Amino acid sequence: MSIQYRQDLPPPGGFDAIKYKRNLPFRGPSGLVILGAVTAVCAYGFYRVGKGNLERRELQREKVWSRIHLVPLLLAEGDRDAYRRQQAALQREREIMKDVKGWEAGKSVYNNTRYRSAESIVVL
Amino acid sequence: MSTFRDSASGSQPYKDPTPLPDSVPRVQELGATSAPLKSAAFFIGAYCKEYNEDFMLCKNEGRGDPGQCLKEGRRVTRCATDLINKMRENCLEQFDTHWNCLELNNQEYFACRKPERALNKCMFEKLGLTKTIPGTPAGKKQVHEVENPIYTTVQR
Repeated sequence: MSIQYRQDLPPPGGFDAIKYKRNLPFRGPSGLVILGAVTAVCAYGFYRVGKGNLERRELQREKVWSRIHLVPLLLAEGDRDAYRRQQAALQREREIMKDVKGWEAGKSVYNNTRYRSAESIVVL
Repeated sequence: MSTFRDSASGSQPYKDPTPLPDSVPRVQELGATSAPLKSAAFFIGAYCKEYNEDFMLCKNEGRGDPGQCLKEGRRVTRCATDLINKMRENCLEQFDTHWNCLELNNQEYFACRKPERALNKCMFEKLGLTKTIPGTPAGKKQVHEVENPIYTTVQR
């Protein structure tokens, strides 16, 4: 009897090509690109910060001038009240010291005629 | 024993125990709170420029004496009252919107540009007053006219 034997042969069409090339997937943008992008973002940020600083300066100027415009108005109102208190204090002093000879109500304790605000006020 | 009694809740109307002497003419105080004053500040500055400057010069000469510039002070107050009345007559809606916005936004101008522009427009058309901020760098837009400002509120 003869032995039916089969020779081991390559598959029809031959073997696949051997994959000897390196297979590396894409690992994202290169370092240079990332560095460039970060620099660009930072540059834009600093540009905005600079612009914002200039704008904040202008906003501050606006606020300050709005207050400057109101100073005379508020000062005038405060002055009237201060004057009223001053006159009332004088009146009280006159009333209290009316029996003392040679007392001048409201006379300054200093020889200088410069105006000094009262050291103490009575809240009335 | 005495207790504190609020004069506002008394049965008698409040009487000033120490009124101004009669030699000083009476003037109605303005009585506006901070937000309306801030809203109207630049218009007060523009409308009452002469009176304000006169008063401040007088104050400078008087070296702080409150009795020295009462006359000029009355003029300042009358002028401001006049302006606020005019604003309320002509631009009441815009004025109210703007100062209410300031009230709700920590009294920051930058948070209320939209109502402010409406008010400025109305004030210019009706009363001919413009808001100018002194000292703005030459060739630059004034900060309240900038279209796309950097400082805004979180919600536009």
